[in-house]
Amino acid sequence: MNPAAQPSSFMLFLGHIGQLLFIQTWAWWAAGLGLGLTAVGLAWFTGKRLGVTGGFEDACSIVTKDSTFNASPSNWKLWFLLGLPLGGLLANLGHWSWTWLYGQLDGITFGSTFYKILWLLVSGFLIGFGARWAGGCTSGNTILGVSLGSKMSILATLAFLVAGVIVTNILFKVVF
Amino acid sequence: MALRKPRLTAARKAAPRKASKLSPAESPLPYLGFGILFGYFLSKSRATDYDSIVAMFLCREFQLYGVIITAVAVVSLGLFLLRRSGNKTFSGKTLEMEPLAWDPNRLAGAFLFGAGWALAGTCPGTSLAQIGEGKLIAFATVLGIAAGVWAYKKFKPGISPKNDAVC
Repeated sequence: MNPAAQPSSFMLFLGHIGQLLFIQTWAWWAAGLGLGLTAVGLAWFTGKRLGVTGGFEDACSIVTKDSTFNASPSNWKLWFLLGLPLGGLLANLGHWSWTWLYGQLDGITFGSTFYKILWLLVSGFLIGFGARWAGGCTSGNTILGVSLGSKMSILATLAFLVAGVIVTNILFKVVF
Repeated sequence: MALRKPRLTAARKAAPRKASKLSPAESPLPYLGFGILFGYFLSKSRATDYDSIVAMFLCREFQLYGVIITAVAVVSLGLFLLRRSGNKTFSGKTLEMEPLAWDPNRLAGAFLFGAGWALAGTCPGTSLAQIGEGKLIAFATVLGIAAGVWAYKKFKPGISPKNDAVC
């Protein structure tokens, strides 16, 4: 009704979008929509299936110069991998700071950075070894594999979740 | 001068061949861009936070289950539409979407992965996004993952499924 209100409501909308960029956690449906559209966009634009752990294999093949590692064509998975930290940085613009803290794990490792590094190295090893054995990680098996309707990926995802629930419950309800 | 000349001619010879061979999708930049987007949304979903992974596995928070369910729903619909409209990319290339081959052997690896996911509070993608967020301790996780991927390749005989991983 008021002609002066039109540009200001548009500016308000822009302001909302702008605020969204600085909010640390999005609603689950918004973040899930973003992740899903990225995977679909990757498929529509490049024809590739989403996957993260394969990028680590690219890195292994480049560092060790060992041709038994099956690197992706033109190392596209490694390029995808390199984008992830940049995305993490952009998502935290406005309140970015570096830290050695890591949530409740600080208490479990008695506040020692050395034990924490050791803990994460060992669990990282389990992640990498298990992901290759299982044929993919949470991106390749859970987000993409399940969406393809692959029986193996659906079972692998269930196994991820079952193992995660068991280990976390043992850690936080029995040990600590 | 004498050293540079042959290099220049080699580059000149290679340049036109490369330009005709590389379609825009094969340049690394789109992959980098999709990686940035994926890392951005992972960070916004709070999948990069140890405490929220713990809360997910203790069934105290719906957040990350909701993220996974929404992402799977969106990708299912997207891939269904893409396959329906000819299984092609926008530039007419065939989609590379073969599902993971069946092998019950993989379940053992999946349990190992799940345990690692719970212990580290991160998966391979989020560990890298954590570095970008400034959680420097994630360098240890990334090193561990690389070591695990390397070790799987080295000690593969005997335990490995016949088909290689797709992810």
